[in-house]
Amino acid sequence: MTPDEAKQHLLRYRPDLTAAEKANDAELAEALALAKQDPALGRWLEEYSARQESLQAKFRQIKPPPGLREQIISEHQALMRMRARRRFIAVAAALTILLCAGIAILWQKPSPENDLAQYRNRMIRVALSPYAMDLETNDLAQIHAYLAQQQAPSDYVLPAGLRNVAVTGCAVEKWQDKKVAMVCFRTGKPLPPGTKSDLWLFVVDRSSVGDAPAPGSPVLANVNVLITATWSEGNKMYLLGVAGDEHTIRSYLQLPAVHAHV
Amino acid sequence: MPDSVDFESLVARYYEPLYQFAFSLTRAEADACDLTQQTFTIWATKGHQLRDTSKVKTWLFTILHREFLASRRRHTRFPHLELDEAAGDLPVVAPTAADRLDSAQVLASLARMDEIYQAPVALFYLQEYSYNEIAEILGVPLGTVKSRLSRGLGQLQQMLAREVAVRKLPGA
Repeated sequence: MTPDEAKQHLLRYRPDLTAAEKANDAELAEALALAKQDPALGRWLEEYSARQESLQAKFRQIKPPPGLREQIISEHQALMRMRARRRFIAVAAALTILLCAGIAILWQKPSPENDLAQYRNRMIRVALSPYAMDLETNDLAQIHAYLAQQQAPSDYVLPAGLRNVAVTGCAVEKWQDKKVAMVCFRTGKPLPPGTKSDLWLFVVDRSSVGDAPAPGSPVLANVNVLITATWSEGNKMYLLGVAGDEHTIRSYLQLPAVHAHV
Repeated sequence: MPDSVDFESLVARYYEPLYQFAFSLTRAEADACDLTQQTFTIWATKGHQLRDTSKVKTWLFTILHREFLASRRRHTRFPHLELDEAAGDLPVVAPTAADRLDSAQVLASLARMDEIYQAPVALFYLQEYSYNEIAEILGVPLGTVKSRLSRGLGQLQQMLAREVAVRKLPGA
């Protein structure tokens, strides 16, 4: 290695090089050895090292502007806040979707207020309260026609036990936005003053009541002063109410019976 | 990783050498600040991918260098001047003359060097790294680092000598 070649390698010499680094750099090691033997090269290396120290000091003089560190930390905190906000929004969106899905499911399900007991209580309250029939007639055909016109259930089946009971008229009620046909009868017993009927049959689409009874035996229940029977037939649910006891109401049932419009 | 390495401690420890490296590459305070900031932002986003915590420093410098190269590709703000290959005897710059050059002049000379030499020379003078670490940061083999350092430092010596001569600094 000539002194000029040695200088090329000594350019990358640093006083802080470890022994291992020097050992791993054969050319540098050789150049350093030559600098020890060659006084001129040794002086060159000394001067070069002094220049390098001076240049290193120039690089160390580079100082960050005041506030850079604080700015970096502040930006980081802002970034973290933004991420936390995004996470919050994502979670909130997911919860909203879940909530909407839950509401949709509940919407599909009959609400607790849409059950049979609620329906029965409501209709019997209507029957016992002072009300005006929409149509007063003793003609079942007219009642059928009126209900059909009002788009209320009209193709109902009357129990055989009601065949000989005098009809007095009808009205249209509502349950959960669905129309309920109310057919009024008079049993022949003395009526309280101001009333025109004492036996009522309510007919509604079976799907309108959450826990409508399955087809079969009627369900009996006392509501207020009335005994009621509820049963399903076809796509209709029937509710019959009359003052009396189980024996009384069974006498009006005798299912199946005749079609109202027949 | 960003959770296990406290962010503020990390910034306190490395923002200054990172800024020095960034400034030696860009020579513009705003750009150097941006690069330093961007490096820590990337750490906050991707630092968790680093499994070996002893490599944090190298990782940060590597990211800064990559970001610098990417920004340089986007904006050709840093004109590159070709220089003749160093030939013949190395110029002599007396230590006293080097002392009289300020950091800006040294960095201006660094910026005029061939692009591939700038980063290794800057890391060399920052004295933060061994040759192996410089190789790792720049993503080049060790032998390449050594040859780039020799050639880059030769170019810098030549340019500084020219600078001293032009300014007629005493001791040139």
